[in-house]
Formats: sequence, C-alpha cells, structure tokens
Amino acid sequence: MPPLRINKITRGETMLEFASKNHTACEAMRVDMDDLLFRIAAGEQAALAQLYEHTHASVFGFALSILKNTHDAEDVLHDCYVAVWQGAAGYRSRGKPLAWILTVTRNLCLQQLRTRSRVADLAPEDWEPYLADKEGVTLEDRSILRSCMEQLRDEERQIVTLHALSGFKHREIAAILQLPLPTVLSKYHRAVKRLKQHLQ
Amino acid sequence: MTERELNEKIRQAYTHAAPDVLDAVLSHCGEQKGSAVKMTKTNNNRRWAVRLAGLAACLCLLVGGGFGLLSYRANNSVDAIVSLDVNPGVEIRVNKKERVLEVKPLNEDGRVIVGDMDFSGSDLKVAVNALVGSMLKNGYLNELANSILISVNNSDSTRGAQLRDRLTTEVNDLLRTEAFSPAVLSQTVSRSDELRRLAGEYGISEGKAQLIGEILAQKPQHTFADLAPLSINELNLLRSHAPSENHVESVGTASDKAYIGEAKAKEIALNKAGASSAALTDLEIEMDVEDGVMVYEVEFKCGGYEYDCEVNALTGAVVKFDRETDDDQPVKPVDDGASAALIGEAKARTAALTHAGVSNVSKYECRLDTENGVKVYEIEFKCGGYEYDYEINAVTGAVVKAEKNLDD
Repeated sequence: MPPLRINKITRGETMLEFASKNHTACEAMRVDMDDLLFRIAAGEQAALAQLYEHTHASVFGFALSILKNTHDAEDVLHDCYVAVWQGAAGYRSRGKPLAWILTVTRNLCLQQLRTRSRVADLAPEDWEPYLADKEGVTLEDRSILRSCMEQLRDEERQIVTLHALSGFKHREIAAILQLPLPTVLSKYHRAVKRLKQHLQ
Repeated sequence: MTERELNEKIRQAYTHAAPDVLDAVLSHCGEQKGSAVKMTKTNNNRRWAVRLAGLAACLCLLVGGGFGLLSYRANNSVDAIVSLDVNPGVEIRVNKKERVLEVKPLNEDGRVIVGDMDFSGSDLKVAVNALVGSMLKNGYLNELANSILISVNNSDSTRGAQLRDRLTTEVNDLLRTEAFSPAVLSQTVSRSDELRRLAGEYGISEGKAQLIGEILAQKPQHTFADLAPLSINELNLLRSHAPSENHVESVGTASDKAYIGEAKAKEIALNKAGASSAALTDLEIEMDVEDGVMVYEVEFKCGGYEYDCEVNALTGAVVKFDRETDDDQPVKPVDDGASAALIGEAKARTAALTHAGVSNVSKYECRLDTENGVKVYEIEFKCGGYEYDYEINAVTGAVVKAEKNLDD
C-alpha cells in the first residue's frame, strides 16, 4: 500500500476543503480528529486549537441554521468548544467525531432557544450590519445566506447546511437531527429546488 | 446552477461568515483548568469576611445583651439543606444543631415517602433513618434499583463535607444487609442561580441537577432534558461508565439486575448482524440512554464491517442497527482513472436501475465520489412514489449501497 500523504491543513480551511483537496487524506481525517479529541482529553490546548481550525465553520454554520441569529450562534460556537474541552474525556471513537461535535452544538442551540423563549422573543435579526462588517463576506455570500435564512424552513436549512458545509450524507443527517431518512431526503430536495429558483 | 455549485456557494458563504473566537475559547479553557486555586482564594476571602462580620455581630450582641436573640436565630435559621434522591426526592432543612426545621417533598413520589410524618424539631439522623426506611418500605429502593443520592448544601464547605460523610456512612449501614448492597452517591452542593433554575424547571433537587450537570460534562451529546427524568440508579449506571474527577463520592455499585445484561445484549446484537462471537474484534458494550430509554450500545468489528447496535436494556429489542465498511481495514488503492478505467455514468445508471427494477425515473442525479478510498457513482432518483439512493463502484459496476424510501 502506498504511504498516505496528508496535505497540511491551513488556517481557515474547513474539513470539506481539506478533504476535497486531498482524497487519500480522507481516511486519515477521521483518525486525526479522533486523535485530536484524545489529546484534548489529555489537556492539550494545541489540539483544541487544531480541532477548532478544521471544524469551526461547520459548528457556526449549523448553529446559525438553527438559531438564525449571528450573536447567539457565536455564543454557541464558543460554548461548544468549551464543552468539547470539558467533555472530550467522555468521547468514544465511533468514527464520527464531527457528528459528535455537531450533536453537542445542537444541544447547546436547543438550550439557547429554551432560554430565549423564557426571556423574550427576539426580533428577527437584521443580517446586513453583521455581514457587511465581516471581512471576506462577498455580496454573493450575503445573497446566499439571506436566501437560506428567508427561503428555507428551519429543518430544511439545517439539512442543507449539514450537507453543503460539513459534507454529511443524508442518513448521517437523519441521525444527527433525529429525523427519518425519507423526511431528510425530501426536505433536502425541496430546499435545493427552492434555493435554485430563488437565486436564479 | 447545479446542485454541486449551489452547495459550494453555501459552504463558502458560511465559511466566510464564521467569526474567530478561538482566543476566547482557549482563554476560557485555560481559566477553567486553573480556576480551583483562584476560587478557593476568593472563597476564603469571603469566608474570612463573613467570619469577621459574624464575630463583630456577636460582639455587638454580647455588648447589647442579645443572648436570647442569638439563641433564637441559631435554632430557627437554616444552616444546611440535605436532599435525598432515589426517584422520590425529599429536601430536609436543618439548623446549626442539626434539628429538622422542614421536610419538603420535591415530587409526587416524595409526597408518598413523607406521608403524614412530622419531623419538626427532630434530629436529622432520625429523619434520614425514617425517610430511607420509608423508601425501602414503599419499594423505591430494592435490588433492581439500589442507588440513592445524598446532597448536602452548607455555606461552610468543611462542615458540609463532614455532614455528607456522616450521612453516607449512616445510610450505607442502614441499607446494607446480607441480601442487599446499596449504591450510595454523595456530594456537597454549591449554591448557584443556574442550579436553582434547573431544579425548579425540571422539578428535581439541586443535588440531582448538579449530578446531571456532571454527567453532561462527561457526555455532552445528551441534554439536561434527556437525563432529568431518569432515576438515580439509571444516572448512576450512566455515570459508572464515564468516571471522572468530580465532586461525587460513590460507595457500592449501581444495580443492573432490572436489565437484560451485557451478555444477552451482545448475543442479540450478534444475531442481528449474523455474526459469530469467534470472528468479532474490538467489542465494546456500554450502557447509554436513547430517547429516555436505557440501552446497551454494542459495537464490534466483523468480516470487514463495523457494527453499531443499540439494544433496549429492558426488553432486548434492537432500537438501532448500523453497519459500515471498516475504515481501519487496509485501504484499497484509489482508482483515479489512470490505473483503471471507470465504467462511465451510463453503465452506472443501468446498474442502479436494473437493481431497482425500474426504467422511467425522475429527479435523476449522478455524481462521482470517493467512498473509503474507492471511486463510486452516487446516484439518486425517484420512481413510483419512492426515492432511491445508490452507490455504484465506478470500476467494477458493483452495487455498493442501495436505499429505497417512500417519497413524502
């Protein structure tokens, strides 16, 4: 078997970018993520930083797709990695480290939603100021995000985000969102169709 | 715009929009690791301040001849709150002399336990004896569910820990017989608004809320709402498999006699997989909770596959079964088209449609992908009210995956 070559993951690069750049590294990715979690459990902050680099876009995107509020999603992004730091000792490798991290994200979002409904209903967020101030966000990005937020229903948006941003398969999404697979498939196809129509 | 292009645009948009909070995360994690000393220091300062204030107050009272008032306050102010949790939850408030001021049931089962007993003015030890006895008599503690949680909340942490230790010994001695071995969990509880809020929201004691918080720190894939309805024995079983350095002291082992047992769960999982015990490797069995139901998670590898099976711990029913190619098996060289010719999309489509036994399909989509180092055509289509999802080996044309689901 030829030796496995893994390209160095650069700062800001997501798992999907990393994976699509180097197919042979896909196999190593899971092993590396597991390894990072074990090192985090041993108290290694550098491992947490590495894990964050590879996964934070997935965590933020998923949180945003649930909460529809950039500030709350940012809070969850922070709390998620603190929870991973504290809970890594309880992680057991099942070959699905990102699914585990996103399950933690989902739980934090649900907690955030419960708190939010107890305190007060938030007004729909005005996206433009946040996105306009964010370096690197293009006009097309803004248009895509606005369409995702305004055109899709909650579950549709979560499914599309998990598939497009984190590269999950439909059955994996079904497990994370605790939905039947046929529901995930049909919602996904409906959502993609609507987004295409709206963006064209 | 193709679906792939759309997905790529979505991915880019979210990636560009993601903020960078790494520094805040790392600083928070760092603080947590080193917070013990800091907090102790702060608490000590506060404790000294409280003690000094107390001393000053005592002097004033002495000077003012307020002995009567002092005595009244010592007898009637709450010095410690002790909660006992099994499934019934009961809270006992005591004064400095460990005389009971109030016994408060925390749920319906707690009301059954307390009944019409009046503990006002009685010794804490007597009250605990009576309440634990009532739990035994009413069948809440038995050999199928033998765990009890004792939580002590006292502003003086040293005295709180001493009281916790005494009560643990007391309850353990009380329950232990030749035929019955109890599992006693005990902890001191620190007052916090968050604990009070959670306890109020879920109708449980602050002690149980703290125990759940500690399990969640070990197993963050669960939510507080998942764990709040569980009994202390169930929480103890979950906790037993995830040991960590926490506040909870544990004596005895949680009973799993109410459940089918790990051996039976393994047998059920192997039967479901059609695998034999001799051929499997990397077997792991762990108790977990799924949708409020206790399950055995059985994972193993066999014949080049990884199996993940969840068995209802009470009924033995298989509630989840997954089989995936074992990624740890030697990876086959990637067929990149240079070393082996791909069959092409048309042949892959024919293979999928032939396998499905259909011809006129709609919403057909096909893309080349790599699964476990092997190139596959991912094909999706609809026909006759069903959605089909296929993976066809791009070199051999073999059907790697076939799924058929109702199109809702």
